[in-house]
Amino acid sequence: MLDSTGELPTQGPGRPIRNLIFFVFFYLYIWLAVDLRLIYHGGEVITNFPAFYRGWVFFRGFISRPGGIIAYLSAFLSQLFCIGWAGALVAALQACLICLCCDYFLKAAGARRLRWARFIPAVLVLVTYAGYTYHFATTTALLTALAFVCLYLRIAAESNRLRLAIFVLLSVILYYIAGGAYLLFAVSCAIYELLFSRRRWLGLSYLLLAGAVSYVVGVFIFGVTTIDAFTELLPVSPKVTSYEARRRMLEIIYILYLFVPLTALLLGLWRIIGKRKVKAKPSSKSASWFRRARVLRWGIATGVLFAFVGICIFFSHNNRLKNVLEADYYAYRRMWPEVLKTYQEPVTDFFIIHAVNRALYHTGRLSSQMFSYPQHPEVLFLTGAEHTGVYWKKADTYIDLGHINQAEIVLIEAQERLGRRPMILERLALINLVKGKIGAARVYLTALGKTLFFNDWANDYLTRLESDSNLSKDENIQRLRSLMLDTDYDKTSYDYVEDMLTDLLKHNRQNRMAFEYLMASYLLTRQMDKFAKNLERLDDFDYSQIPRHYEEAIVIYEVLARRKVDLKGRKVSSETMQRAVAFDNLFARFRGGNERGLMLAAGRDFGDTYFFYYKFGP
Amino acid sequence: MNKRYYYLVSFAAIVILLCGLSYYLLGEDTAVCEQYSSVARAPVISPDYTETVIPPNIAPLNFIVKEKGSRYSARIYSTNGGSINLSSKNGRIVIPAGPWKKLLNANRGQKLYFDIYAADESNQWLRFETITNTIASEGIDGYLIYRKLHPSQSRWSEMGIYQRNVENHRESVVVDNSFYNEVCMNCHAFCGNRPDKMFLDIRSMKYGSSALLVEDNATNKIAKRLGFITWHPSGRLVVCSISSPRLLLHTARRYVQDIVELDSALIYYLLDSGTVKTSPKLAQKDRLETYPTWSPDGRYLYFCSAAMLWSDRYEVPPQRYEEVKYDLLRISYDPNSDTWGELETVLSAKDTGLSILEPRISPDGRWLLFCMCDYGSWPIHHPTSDLYIMDLEAARQTGEYKYRRLEVNSDQSEAWHSWSTNSRWIAFSSKRRYEVFTRIYFSYVDRAGRLYKPIILPQKDPEFYDFCLKTHTIPEFLIQPVEVTGEKLVRVICGSRQIAVDIPISSATPKAEAIPGYEGPWRWRE
Repeated sequence: MLDSTGELPTQGPGRPIRNLIFFVFFYLYIWLAVDLRLIYHGGEVITNFPAFYRGWVFFRGFISRPGGIIAYLSAFLSQLFCIGWAGALVAALQACLICLCCDYFLKAAGARRLRWARFIPAVLVLVTYAGYTYHFATTTALLTALAFVCLYLRIAAESNRLRLAIFVLLSVILYYIAGGAYLLFAVSCAIYELLFSRRRWLGLSYLLLAGAVSYVVGVFIFGVTTIDAFTELLPVSPKVTSYEARRRMLEIIYILYLFVPLTALLLGLWRIIGKRKVKAKPSSKSASWFRRARVLRWGIATGVLFAFVGICIFFSHNNRLKNVLEADYYAYRRMWPEVLKTYQEPVTDFFIIHAVNRALYHTGRLSSQMFSYPQHPEVLFLTGAEHTGVYWKKADTYIDLGHINQAEIVLIEAQERLGRRPMILERLALINLVKGKIGAARVYLTALGKTLFFNDWANDYLTRLESDSNLSKDENIQRLRSLMLDTDYDKTSYDYVEDMLTDLLKHNRQNRMAFEYLMASYLLTRQMDKFAKNLERLDDFDYSQIPRHYEEAIVIYEVLARRKVDLKGRKVSSETMQRAVAFDNLFARFRGGNERGLMLAAGRDFGDTYFFYYKFGP
Repeated sequence: MNKRYYYLVSFAAIVILLCGLSYYLLGEDTAVCEQYSSVARAPVISPDYTETVIPPNIAPLNFIVKEKGSRYSARIYSTNGGSINLSSKNGRIVIPAGPWKKLLNANRGQKLYFDIYAADESNQWLRFETITNTIASEGIDGYLIYRKLHPSQSRWSEMGIYQRNVENHRESVVVDNSFYNEVCMNCHAFCGNRPDKMFLDIRSMKYGSSALLVEDNATNKIAKRLGFITWHPSGRLVVCSISSPRLLLHTARRYVQDIVELDSALIYYLLDSGTVKTSPKLAQKDRLETYPTWSPDGRYLYFCSAAMLWSDRYEVPPQRYEEVKYDLLRISYDPNSDTWGELETVLSAKDTGLSILEPRISPDGRWLLFCMCDYGSWPIHHPTSDLYIMDLEAARQTGEYKYRRLEVNSDQSEAWHSWSTNSRWIAFSSKRRYEVFTRIYFSYVDRAGRLYKPIILPQKDPEFYDFCLKTHTIPEFLIQPVEVTGEKLVRVICGSRQIAVDIPISSATPKAEAIPGYEGPWRWRE
């Protein structure tokens, strides 16, 4: 038998099976395709991911304000995003519960034919993840408010007074737990009472109470500001809307929040307006057959659902952002081969190329393969006006170079911008250890010791500091100390790449990364004289031969300067010379002709050479 | 009915279970050990509340015993009776507020003893030497107002002005920027440690730079930043230093950041007429004037002044900026006729060899507290910055300004000091122990001007400072809390109503906003 919703009967397996398939798909998609580890990492793109610390002091900061409980719970659960499968499970469970709450409400509103709409909020949640945004706290507050709506509908008594008492009790509890998200509960209950149970005075009083509870409990009891009292944890909060990075996909969250009250409002109005009963037409024979084909109907409905989900994912999955986050994620973990894999043609994202250059350096290929990737003079250190607000992405480059003070500056700024994220504190602890500022390092390490996933690293260092306060046996610390500048140069900013790298080389001639980055910066800015002058530094390192891009640059320099470079017995390889001749011949073929054709042909045959960059690069 | 009964029983069972669990986890047995071995040294406790003088109205000085043990016991007592016995499984000694308050009140001017015991796994108790502190007779002002922020230079994402009741552990926000991204608050200044007359400087890219004036429950916005402010004791005028600070970053120093004043001068704002004035003596073309402070009788304005060693006021860093050392000057003032006297040099940098900064005079007018560092005007960024004291009463009698370095200094920076109303307590910021993270300390000043070992502003959690990632800086004492709400302040900050003022500074001392490429003053803090 079919029920009136057009689905398999309630007691049958149809709906649970569809739910199960949908949420298994949701889980797998979030886990494998989105990968919540990237959202946890944030890569300076997601700026509102919360930090979480164990202990009373951290907890106390949450319980003293409305909405703190949900914010605390969300901060805790969000940490599981660090483990891809666990984070996906949390996200899927949250979406599933939202779906169940919506379903319950639709059922209570008598909209049995609309119960398919329960999937809409879950799809919207999925879309926010596909777009690589973090709105978990807001959606958790939404879920809590919906759960309270369901609870109200479940226990609401016949007597108006009792209903009011229950509403007030739930309001106070919910307001304390979920802050401004309580308004969703109040409005939904009010609409229900106004339009469905026809208790108009009760409904109107709920609306008045919504404001009163928020103001009295929020402002008078907890002493929060009026704006906070009404908007905490809501997507309209200035804490969300004041920040550009947090506004991404906010429209989806607005729709999510409006879904239940708007649906209820429309249903209620429809009921009032469309009171006139429409006589059911006798169904035709084919329709009757279709109704009886339960499995087919179920299959079609499920197919439509998944087609809808597929379309939503197709339009919302932000692959470019995923690549950027992946590049940063792997670079932070020094997983260099994986960093190189994140580069996908024809993407020329500065952040990805910045990470790729680091990966090339650490795999010994920067000087021979960097022009296999699109390059730009600003990409090495993310200089340039549009990158002035970028801090986190620059930090590791400075640490690797040994420019510890500069790394400290950008990390402190990153902390200010992104909050007390453990990965930032980890780097700041390292920097202070390198600088011998043990007091400050201990603060960072003790704070990290209270995190869920960085505590082992921190506690290990705290233990080591007990026996060796100078960390004289720590190879990484000692290596960084050997690279660290000991001459002070006062700067207004550290964006003078050349000065910085030459200072580092002045301090330590064997700073290979400083050398390769200096040469790369000369190549990128076509400063061939300086490049040629610094070739003598090759003697400071153990290159078995002149790196390929250096050879190509030497050829260019010698042609342009009309003089030989003293390579101290080294020779430009015959392969490079042949490539130079071939490149020259190509030019001869196109001389006076099609510039675009020349570029395309050169790109095809010489796109990975410095010849090509020198001629056609930015 | 049965169902309700079931719910009720379940609820009661859960409550009882939770209570039991809480008692097991948090409950401490308060037994005093009778059998123990003695250890011939005092125990290590953190924070270090030992061998010092404490205010009789201070919040409980909770601490953690940093000695090995599986159980700990502490007995806190004094001469005139009253004792508190506490035990702990993890060494955290959290003192109940009521008994602590009674004990301190009953023993003003007496010694306060901490007997600490630690037991090993086999329940063998060790007793350490008694820790002795002195409870001062004179109390400390009940409130402290300070700035709390991340140790950042140029972003203002999370910062605010907070006030703390020093008699308990309660901290509240005066105003913060949680709603309004990138608003900087600084230079909070009060008239005579009272909150009814207050200035607060605001820097914002969105709302502009302004100064909030709170006066007798009215809050107004003055359409100019006023920088370091000092209230005349009459409350009728304030003197401010306007300046153009620029950030410097050091490539190899322990302290990365430094700030150099390209130019600065003093102005004064007359509250009754709403006018801003200056005097050629306060704004000399070839000098940098800053850190004004009034003598408590209102007759003299003390301030710091240094020769400007550069001609190019836009070059950063300016030439020879590391040679700039400030002198301490004073000038008399008659508020009735609004006239300034002659400049006098109180202390010359040539004599001290150091830059003299942040003078603050005790409310009784006797002591001048200041700090000195190797160069410049931002001592908090200089590990060389130490606190010094000068006896003004003695100077009046002998005509000689003698000063001495205080015993409370550390090898890190000490700065931003202030006096309690009774002139017996100072609060100051220090980077000792935590280096990057500035913390607030108190120190008792006896009648001879001797300062005692400082104690850190106590927190409920004795380990709070070990993981607190924010700096606490610019402490100012208050006798009452600031009553104006943060919300009201924010409304005024964001509102369009403001008092227009014209700052009469000559082109030789350019307005900070006029410097090319200069994004705004005070992008850098501390």
